[in-house]
Amino acid sequence: MLSYRPGDTLAHRLDPRSKLLVQFGLAVAVVGYSSWAGLAGATAVGLLAVGTARLSPLAVLRSYRVVLGVLALAPLVAGGALGPPWFRVEPAVRSARLSARVVPVLLVSAAYLTSTPVRETRAAVQRTVPGKPGQLLGVGMALVVRLFPVVLEDVREVRDAIRARGGERRPARTRARLLTVRSLARALDRSDRLAVALRARCFAWNPTLPPLSFARRDYPVLAVGVALTLSPLL
Amino acid sequence: MSQQHESVDLVGDETAGYFARAVLIAALTAALAQVSIPLPGTLPPFSLQPFGMFFAGLLLGPLWGGLALALYVLVGVAGAPVFSNGNAGPGYVLVGQGTGGFLIGFLVGAVVSGAVVHRGVEPRDLGDASVPVQIAGLFAAVVVVYAIGVPWLSAVTGLPLPRAAAVMAPYVPLDLLKLGVAVAIVEGGHLVRG
Repeated sequence: MLSYRPGDTLAHRLDPRSKLLVQFGLAVAVVGYSSWAGLAGATAVGLLAVGTARLSPLAVLRSYRVVLGVLALAPLVAGGALGPPWFRVEPAVRSARLSARVVPVLLVSAAYLTSTPVRETRAAVQRTVPGKPGQLLGVGMALVVRLFPVVLEDVREVRDAIRARGGERRPARTRARLLTVRSLARALDRSDRLAVALRARCFAWNPTLPPLSFARRDYPVLAVGVALTLSPLL
Repeated sequence: MSQQHESVDLVGDETAGYFARAVLIAALTAALAQVSIPLPGTLPPFSLQPFGMFFAGLLLGPLWGGLALALYVLVGVAGAPVFSNGNAGPGYVLVGQGTGGFLIGFLVGAVVSGAVVHRGVEPRDLGDASVPVQIAGLFAAVVVVYAIGVPWLSAVTGLPLPRAAAVMAPYVPLDLLKLGVAVAIVEGGHLVRG
């Protein structure tokens, strides 16, 4: 699984906002230019991004194997026909080309994931979205990251308890109801305690933000991001 | 010794309460995305993920329910493995396995169902919303999820739109079943808080 690794590569030193803009721009560009030439250009950008994070492209593709496996089914579904000739090449090739566009987006995403700690993304969101909404999104992200493993553990405990009582033999509807009711009740209990804790710690609209600033090296990256985002208009 | 005084703009108690609920519903959506119930035969597994969207809309209304799902998506973008099968990253939201549209659909669906059920920004007591209104709200959410997800799937994978719809069709009855379960949970009084 791809996750943040501390390091000192160029990707690590870039501002998260420039990196996010490039990813967004690349996704827009691959939709705008879905020709083979566009695909080759986007793949070059993807490989460049992986290079700046010093990742092996093959290792990245291996970690996305489930995603890629599912995508590989699309050309088979698109080419299949219910009558003779049973399989048509042209729609399958078209679908394969469109599915291949996903690869460069995933490559850039891998470079982002391995080079950006969650707190930097939080700071980027908080700086980009102004005022109270940005503040709630920023604090909320930090809390969800911290609470997700706890809630996941709650849900697994409930599931194991249902299994231990022979719940596997009950219909899916009943199992879903039991699992959801118990998990939701636990989550709501936790939210009550979280609300008390937030109030006790003077949860304010104007706390100190983590520092984040654009350096000189960010400007070319930002320019690439803007160019990619606007590319379908050119 | 100098002292610095800065006025602290405290968040109101009610807002802090809704915010805490949104955070926990986001974490619960992430947790439910990791758990699914296998079904016999060739049926797709019974994923519990839509329950996050359903309860965000039902319990929190359009604003706070929308915040809950926005937090879920953002935390995934930031790299926490909260999407199904432990996936994460901006690339997964933008394209996924062609499934990125369903993630955005969950966010919009929570806002739509919250707006239908609560008819305003502030969440009201669910006892005041009749069962048909709750069903209508959740049904609208399911429609929104497919209306965004299916064309997105078609655009990413190059499947013609009718074929993309056919690929997703087996999931529709399961989602309607989940809708029924969600309303039954609310009506059964399982969520009444002391």
